[in-house]
Amino acid sequence: MMRLLPWMYLAVAFVFIYLPVATLVLFSFQDGQLPVPPFNGPSLRWYGDVLGDSRLTAALINSVLVALGASLIAVTLGFLAAYGLARHVLPGSALIRALLIAPLTVSYLIVGLGLLIVLTQAGLGLSLVTAGIGHVVINLPLAFAIIFAAMGAQQQNAERAARDLGANEMQVILLVTVPMLAPAIGAAFFLSMTFSWDEFIISFLLTRFDVTLPVEIWSMLRSGLSPRLNAIGSLVFLVSIAVVLTLELFVFRKRRS
Amino acid sequence: MTAPVSLSRLNHWFGTYQALDDINLEIAAGEYVTLLGPSGCGKTTLLSVLGGFIAPSEGSVMIGGRDMTRVVPAKRPTTTMFQDYALFPHMSLRENVGFGLRMAGMGRAERDRKAEAQLSLVGLGDDAGKRPHELSGGQRQRVALARALAVEPDVLLLDEPLGALDLKLRRAMQDELKAIQRHVGTTFVHVTHDQEEAMAIADRIVVMNAGRIEDEGTPARIYRQPASLFAADFMGEMNHIPVHVTEHGVETPFGRLQLPAPRRGAATLCLRPEAIGTTDAQITLGPARVRDAAFFGTHIRAHLVPDAAPDLVLIAHLPPVDMPAPDDVLVISAAADTISVFAKEP
Repeated sequence: MMRLLPWMYLAVAFVFIYLPVATLVLFSFQDGQLPVPPFNGPSLRWYGDVLGDSRLTAALINSVLVALGASLIAVTLGFLAAYGLARHVLPGSALIRALLIAPLTVSYLIVGLGLLIVLTQAGLGLSLVTAGIGHVVINLPLAFAIIFAAMGAQQQNAERAARDLGANEMQVILLVTVPMLAPAIGAAFFLSMTFSWDEFIISFLLTRFDVTLPVEIWSMLRSGLSPRLNAIGSLVFLVSIAVVLTLELFVFRKRRS
Repeated sequence: MTAPVSLSRLNHWFGTYQALDDINLEIAAGEYVTLLGPSGCGKTTLLSVLGGFIAPSEGSVMIGGRDMTRVVPAKRPTTTMFQDYALFPHMSLRENVGFGLRMAGMGRAERDRKAEAQLSLVGLGDDAGKRPHELSGGQRQRVALARALAVEPDVLLLDEPLGALDLKLRRAMQDELKAIQRHVGTTFVHVTHDQEEAMAIADRIVVMNAGRIEDEGTPARIYRQPASLFAADFMGEMNHIPVHVTEHGVETPFGRLQLPAPRRGAATLCLRPEAIGTTDAQITLGPARVRDAAFFGTHIRAHLVPDAAPDLVLIAHLPPVDMPAPDDVLVISAAADTISVFAKEP
């Protein structure tokens, strides 16, 4: 009995975590109007419906664009900040580091509201670009923290050797630092992607006509439950899983070898 | 390629700490020089100044007749072989060795050919496609050497290059480094704290202490006639005998000796353990009692208490033939040219 207890605990915990997701995925295959028991099916009609819906596919593409663009910018800026702070003695570098990481502690709602006020005051229209700016704000501290933590003496010595062999600063960064930090840079990029992909509040506040997928889903939710939403949710989940698996396969595995 | 190096009036401070103190040094083209000293003596700082990683507070660095004092490492005719090798882990050995050539704008085919030739020179010609993590420490060290030599520098700087290797491999690599240096003709400046390594490898040794040059010269000269007490001690085991210098000569417990000596007053007489023998030599030290003796293969290391100075314990390296027993009495003497006398530090 005592031997079984931990296993039962494990099973309960996993059921608790994965039952909602499993239900969501299961009822996305429902052959009927409502995503509630009894289960009829399976049927792919809701997937066909979702993929045939031009607003949803547009929102899906918007989400991918925002996630890619915001992550690329956040990782580039985070890398440059980490490189500068790790390689140069700057006055007040501890304060600069703290200021770079601080936005992690600010809630997305506050970040989104602040940006909304600033953008409105500045007279800039809301669009996918403004949502992307919001995502850069929330992802930059994370990218900076991950990449800064990975910078060590090993790269520094290799950079010194590269300079000694005639490399200029650009060549040092592109040929030595970035390849040596590839696992950390990749991890930062894929984590930014997943956060940006799922993010709702900032996208909701900072978009107007073109919206990202979570915002589109939210507006559909207002007209009640439908297996369509389950199908969309399953697709979103599938993409997140794909990103995490890519991260695991190409980034963490490489680091271990 | 090769070039002479001329350092004049170099001073360097890290904050208030003076790491280099008025360094003047001439290195001839094609010479193998070692900078020898304990940690913190300034030898690595001096190498960094040569390589361009540290701009000295004062003084000038001339390489091949050109002023290089403020020139960045990339633009200097020097390359450095770093203590931890600093190989690029994401590149094959061929790409590592060809990196400097690539920076110089050489095309892929030609630099691959040259990189493979360099790898062959250090005995790794068949491993050009491997990554650094597949190699042993000694092999990585060879790759670092090949990479630094591939760009044909005028001066190669080696920062404790053998420090991470075990003793046997270190001795083998010393011979190899020396052979490669003769083959390529490049000026080598090698930093070490191991005096045996310095003696085995160098044309000339520069002994450093507290940011200053204590002595410079051939290994034999520094070992036999060191210029300072520090150099004498650093080059190997040394007996210290307190003496007094007067106008008549050097007053020692073993009588008055006529030796080249510094200013009058208290002084220290230095005598190498292997200079003490039981056969007749110019300077007789008289009978001495054996306190203990141990067999070392090439010699017998004995502690001797001379009757003339019972407070003194002399270390002697005797021929490994007759093992003396404790309390045996030996009549010992030493050759005059093995003795140095230095004034006591005030």
